[in-house]
Amino acid sequence: MWQRHLAAALFATLAMTGQMSAAHADQLADIKARGTLVCGTQNASEPYAFPDAATRKIVGFDVDVCNALAKGLGVKLEHRALSTDARIPELKTRRVDVLAAAVAWMPARAAQVDFSDQYFVAPIRVLVRADSPVQTLEQLSGKKIAASEGSSSAAVSVTRLPDSNLLTFHDISSAFLALQQGKVEGLVAGQLILARFANEAAAKGGQQYRLLTRPVFEERWGVVMNKGEPALRDAVNRILVDYDKSNGLQESFEKWLGSKSVYKFTRDYKVEPIKVQ
Amino acid sequence: MFDLSFLLEDGYLKLFRDGVLTTLRLFAVSGLLAIVVGVLLTTLRALPVKLFKGFVIVVVEYHRNVPVLVQILVWYFGVPQLLPEGARDWINAGNTEFFFATVALALNAGAFISEDLRSGLRAIPHTQQEAAWSIGLTYLQSLRYVILPQGIRVALPALLNQSLLLFKNSSLAMAIGVHELLYRTRQIDNLTFRTFDVFLVATILYLIGTLSLMALSEHFAKRRTAPSGV
Repeated sequence: MWQRHLAAALFATLAMTGQMSAAHADQLADIKARGTLVCGTQNASEPYAFPDAATRKIVGFDVDVCNALAKGLGVKLEHRALSTDARIPELKTRRVDVLAAAVAWMPARAAQVDFSDQYFVAPIRVLVRADSPVQTLEQLSGKKIAASEGSSSAAVSVTRLPDSNLLTFHDISSAFLALQQGKVEGLVAGQLILARFANEAAAKGGQQYRLLTRPVFEERWGVVMNKGEPALRDAVNRILVDYDKSNGLQESFEKWLGSKSVYKFTRDYKVEPIKVQ
Repeated sequence: MFDLSFLLEDGYLKLFRDGVLTTLRLFAVSGLLAIVVGVLLTTLRALPVKLFKGFVIVVVEYHRNVPVLVQILVWYFGVPQLLPEGARDWINAGNTEFFFATVALALNAGAFISEDLRSGLRAIPHTQQEAAWSIGLTYLQSLRYVILPQGIRVALPALLNQSLLLFKNSSLAMAIGVHELLYRTRQIDNLTFRTFDVFLVATILYLIGTLSLMALSEHFAKRRTAPSGV
């Protein structure tokens, strides 16, 4: 009985490996020959990639990046909306060509996949209840903090806030619910989403929230590709620089994150190689 | 191919070890509680009181028909909200993740165990009950000394199957932030992006757990099969 289970497990494992090691000569040439770029984003991450209430299509800042990449390569875009868990497996099994899916650069990650130049930079910060005694990151030591599972905020918390007890939840709303209910002392996430939570709470009255002043980390997002594809990486970098110069990036930023959005953030970074922090 | 050398870097091995220990603790505590819950529910249902029977049916059907993940989320996010504020704050300050995961898993497994036990009891001929009464045992005594010991033997294979399910269901506790094996696996995946390597390790660790339970069940099945004629 158990031998059969073991055989099944081994077979599944081998099948998976076979798929991974399928040889690809040059992905850029493949994309051009195929005439489509398969570009993955997240599927429920407002305002980066989320379903539009009216059209039900996935829209957002990251989707705009996918569009710019396809346009720059002169091919049609085939957009894939992925869960956080599926992002990297989809890329590694080559079911998608590139990811513009809120992937922040980290050294261990960069050893596994290639990052383009940064197209988004934002601080990761901590939200606490307004009446919380916690004022600094150090005071979170020994306390429970929440983050969204699979997020870069969860990953950096492990190294930057090692003395805190990190609990991750399936999505950011459950993590915020844990903060609301007082199950955790702080919520670690991108400044943008935290600002929205705090603003919404302020508008509604009731429990209020505030951000700790010092950021935990400054995350830098790149377009993510498989390793060993220098032609594709160079092409993506060229397109991103053009996207910035031609004001396309600025327009997209204003629409989703800046003056035309509820967030009113201003862009203080440009497309350039990611600096090692 | 797979490359597991990363396990030696940056304490990933320690994260896996912590995950395994938490999974084992979750399994042991909720498993023991589940047996208590199961026996209690079966006994209540076997008693000749309509109210008890109705209560047990409601409890069992809730746990059989609602996804385990939802049950865990209800206990963690929902139940404390029903308490007065002081008690709620006190509960929230503690290690509530492990506590509520244990409660939810134990009740869920307990409901299934009670059904397995009931099937086991039904396999015992009614003449046994009559024999027990005829030597002057009360209803509860007949359950305890005559019916349950035989019924449990019949139910043993099904019970060991439940233990496999409970072992795997313990991974759902990661939804509320319990640092068990799957939680640690996904955390290491998120840190390293070595998805396939990391899940291979987790698969092997889970297989070691479930295959050991299966070996244990075969061992018990050989030694303690129900006597023929039952």
